[in-house]
Amino acid sequence: MKKPYEKPVITKVETGLMNKFGNAPYYARKVRTAIDGVSIDALVQQFGSPLFVLSERQLRENYRKLYRAFAARYPNVQFGWSYKTNYLQAVCAVLHQEGAFAEVVSLMEYEKARRLGIPGEKIIFNGPYKPVEILEQAAAEGALINIDHFDEIADLEAVAKKLGKQIRVGIRVNMDTGIYPQWSRFGFNLETGQVMDAVKRIQAGGHLVLTGLHCHIGTFIMEPDAYAQETAKLVQLKYSIEEHFGYQIEFLDIGGGLPSRNRLKGTYLPPEILLPSVEEYAEKITQALYDHLKPGDFPTLVLENGRAIVDEAGYLITTVVASKRLPDGRKAYIADAGVNLLFTAFWYKFTVEMDRDLPGVNESCVIYGPLCMNIDVLDEGTSLPPLERGTRLIFSPVGAYNQTQWMQFIEYRPSVVMVMEDGTVEVIREQEDLSDIERRERLPEKLQLNSIAAE
Amino acid sequence: MKALTAIVRAVLHSYAEIFFLQSPVVGAILFLTTFLNPTLGVAGILSVLAAYAFAKFLKMDKTFLETGFYTYNALLVGLSIGFLFKISVITIFFVLVAGVLTFVVSVLLANVFGTYFRLPILSIPFAIISSVLYLSVSRYTNLFVTSLYPKFTLQVLEENVPYFLAGYFKSLGAIFFLPNVLAGCIFALLLFGTSRILFFLSLVGYYTGSAFLFILKGSWYAAFADLSNFNFILVAMAVGGVFLIPARQSYWIALVAVLLSTLVLSATEVFWAAYGVPAFTLPFNSITIMLLYVLGLVGFPFVAQVIRKTPEETLDHFLTFQKRFPGTLRTLHLPFAGEWTVWQGFDGRWTHKGQLKYAYDFVITDEQGKTHTEDGSELQHYYAYRKPVLSPVRGRVVTVVSHLPDNPIGQVDRENNWGNYVVIYDLRGFYVEISHFAQDSLKVREGDWVEVGSFLGLCGNSGYSPQPHIHVQVQRTAEVGSPTLPFSFVSYVANQEFHANDLPPEKSKVRPVFADSAIANRLSFYLDNTFTYQVFDQDRQAGSVSMTVKMAVDGTFYFDTGKGKLYFGRDAGTFYYYRLDGRDPHLQMMFSAAPRIPLIAEKDIRFTDFLPLKISVGTFRRSVLLFFASFHHAVGTSRFVGTIRSRGVLEGTVYPVGSATPIATRVVLDDIFGIREIRVGDRKMVLVETTFGED
Repeated sequence: MKKPYEKPVITKVETGLMNKFGNAPYYARKVRTAIDGVSIDALVQQFGSPLFVLSERQLRENYRKLYRAFAARYPNVQFGWSYKTNYLQAVCAVLHQEGAFAEVVSLMEYEKARRLGIPGEKIIFNGPYKPVEILEQAAAEGALINIDHFDEIADLEAVAKKLGKQIRVGIRVNMDTGIYPQWSRFGFNLETGQVMDAVKRIQAGGHLVLTGLHCHIGTFIMEPDAYAQETAKLVQLKYSIEEHFGYQIEFLDIGGGLPSRNRLKGTYLPPEILLPSVEEYAEKITQALYDHLKPGDFPTLVLENGRAIVDEAGYLITTVVASKRLPDGRKAYIADAGVNLLFTAFWYKFTVEMDRDLPGVNESCVIYGPLCMNIDVLDEGTSLPPLERGTRLIFSPVGAYNQTQWMQFIEYRPSVVMVMEDGTVEVIREQEDLSDIERRERLPEKLQLNSIAAE
Repeated sequence: MKALTAIVRAVLHSYAEIFFLQSPVVGAILFLTTFLNPTLGVAGILSVLAAYAFAKFLKMDKTFLETGFYTYNALLVGLSIGFLFKISVITIFFVLVAGVLTFVVSVLLANVFGTYFRLPILSIPFAIISSVLYLSVSRYTNLFVTSLYPKFTLQVLEENVPYFLAGYFKSLGAIFFLPNVLAGCIFALLLFGTSRILFFLSLVGYYTGSAFLFILKGSWYAAFADLSNFNFILVAMAVGGVFLIPARQSYWIALVAVLLSTLVLSATEVFWAAYGVPAFTLPFNSITIMLLYVLGLVGFPFVAQVIRKTPEETLDHFLTFQKRFPGTLRTLHLPFAGEWTVWQGFDGRWTHKGQLKYAYDFVITDEQGKTHTEDGSELQHYYAYRKPVLSPVRGRVVTVVSHLPDNPIGQVDRENNWGNYVVIYDLRGFYVEISHFAQDSLKVREGDWVEVGSFLGLCGNSGYSPQPHIHVQVQRTAEVGSPTLPFSFVSYVANQEFHANDLPPEKSKVRPVFADSAIANRLSFYLDNTFTYQVFDQDRQAGSVSMTVKMAVDGTFYFDTGKGKLYFGRDAGTFYYYRLDGRDPHLQMMFSAAPRIPLIAEKDIRFTDFLPLKISVGTFRRSVLLFFASFHHAVGTSRFVGTIRSRGVLEGTVYPVGSATPIATRVVLDDIFGIREIRVGDRKMVLVETTFGED
């Protein structure tokens, strides 16, 4: 077969040895022909491209690994599954089967958890805006509501009066744990004494019973000591509240923020080297608990993990639909999926794998998505051999936030499938068509176009 | 008025005590029966009142007086005087003095026997005092002897009842100095009505003893005619039903005791007859007390630790207690957090042998049963490595060794078998040793006080340890390697089942549970908390009930409704109902709805418990069942299987003995405090009001 013509370019020869950043460009080209034993070809043939693929096995393994790291160190551990990270029903169901509570932050997420069959008492309700109607439902159903601000105390007291019962609540706390940026917008500040004011206010009202403390120090936290500090401060706060107000603090919720094995843009070392292991986080956090808790006092330790569990269980299969040469000499490819589907491309540099081994030396290239927007870039600079049209590229890890933050912009959102532990593949969200997008639309009578045509 | 009721109850109790029962009703019937011989009746009650009044005069503690425990001997002495003398001013005076004397001797002996031998005094004071009186009256010619005159008897009965039956009834009557068939019949009915076991024992005792006498004497008539044969009845009842737990073994011992007492009886009779004194209860007292002492000494398993109002109740309590609280008194928590696997248990395959056989080893395994990731060639691959080790008991740290290195995989340290270890002294009188800590990971020092769950150090691979694991054992002394003692683990979950006090088998995966403070707080009742419940029967309102938390003298707490007392308590990670005193259907409902509540919130955890028949079975069926259960203990308890459905919601099933229909139960804890809903079958109690008592 005749080779297609390509304009000659000059590329730097890479020797194939590892560079100082831990990459070996030649060998770094990665080939993936299957996900959990199901071939990429078969997946695309059956479900089309692009295609999100989630691995049930990976999901469960990640959960268990993380849970075991904590549960083997501390007696009372409860995970809350952070819905906003990925609230596809199948994903939530798998994690609920593993024992996680639902951690929701809005009316929509609360309703989602309830529809999935999660009882109120297994829902942790965070978030800065909780409309009164859903607060009332959550309180009636015994959900664990973590209060974010003073106005919410008033709202909840009104709800308590209406329901004629006391409501068990937690409060959200923000604090300095030695990292930057300090997340200070959620809850009440510890260092300025705002927390104690809130507790005083709760006690003065008499309608709420404070049973827990919640804190979320940030996201993708790469320093285990930050959690140790957070934990220590929460324990001290617990005892100070118990001593001064007589409440029994039954749970300490240290929030989420544990990183996934993803690579933040601007970091040079690969995540395996850069990121501490979950064991290190667990050891630091539980040691802080043992150092500060009274012996034999084991309040429930709650963690609201998201990305650390689901990110690595997600893959996106895309197809190279075209290639071109940019004026600066770099190769550019256009894939059938862009930032409309991979929102996290704005801060992660994903692992890119090919579905086949291709000849040729690696060259610098850019991968664009299908959108008519300049920002639609999946990878600004990676190193791949010349790709044939139709080559599948597999992006990972993409399980976190993409299926909740994706946007419907000029494209249909593709199918999401889950490779089950038994090797079967289930569609967990069907590909959209026009009816999904127009279902809620109403075209006023006078704007009906067919009537114009008829005239 | 209240004071008067208390006196009446105490006096009636003195009567019932003679048949080892605690019931004012039985006492009242016995009291009335003594008036078959009015002299007897009057003398008896006078003697009791004299003793009681004297005790009152001494300002003796109320709780002592309520039982009739110190006054039944006075009653017997009074009866013995009334039996002999006609009532006159002199006799009355004589009776009063004798009553006081008996009381003094009773208190004295009760203290000596109770303190030094942990034995009951039975009717020793009576046997002594009456013998003394009978001896002394030979000098007192002013007393009018009535025993030579005919007394009231029902001739029809006396003449028509065959002699072998008459002998039994007369002997039974003779216990109250009423050696006639009528009194015997009344007592027999009373015994049968109150306790089938006592009735059965009275028959067995009487006829065994009499038969033995017949063999020795050669005459059935002579064997049955001896009124002192009531000693056989008392011995059989006391040994077989009261001081030993009713059981086949106990019944055999009761028979042996009866045979022994025949010899003592004959000997006593010969000796005392020379002085004109009857044998009274001397044979019964000497044999019973001797046997009890010896049985206690050799550790006979059925010596009753708790004696209730009837042998049936004692048995019910014993059987339930045995099943509800297996395991040992040396209770340890599992020394870690999370799920670990038993690698080696008591009398294990590898190292738990001989003097060191009471020990446990734990490792962590994954779904595939492996203890490590990758190829297991490095310590870091092992799941157990550097996991926290927590104190299994509260006590004082006596030894800490922390400097030994962790062996690489494939090597063991034969010099220092125990590796890095701690020894903790538990105040209950034993030492706990935990081994193989990681080097320098121990955070406690010698002399530190630790609580259950205190952080000790990290699991390592020091000492004779082929892979990282935790070794725990209980020792008699502080020296590491000293002989080990049996122990058991409290409050853990294995295979989704909650175990309150048990030993997990090898290879089982176990996880300690520490009380979830959210659940525990709702069941932390304190004094004067009052709960009012609305009661529903098949969803129709059926009244309401209030209960208040009170404390007994021994420091245990109970719910008091006025009609009954439901004792409860918390041990390790479990809330228990221990027992119900009195009859209150609502408290009974609370008990059977969930006899124990594991203080954990995880759902779908099962647990098993056992209910006393008093709680789970109706009165009639219970009386039959308990009689049979005394021969075959396995039928004596109703099983309860519970499941934690969700946080604070418990569902259970009661399987009453001898009934094919299980009863569904449900308990819902209140969001804030107490128990909100209790459901047993069609009946339901719903909390409507909680008051917290005075601040």
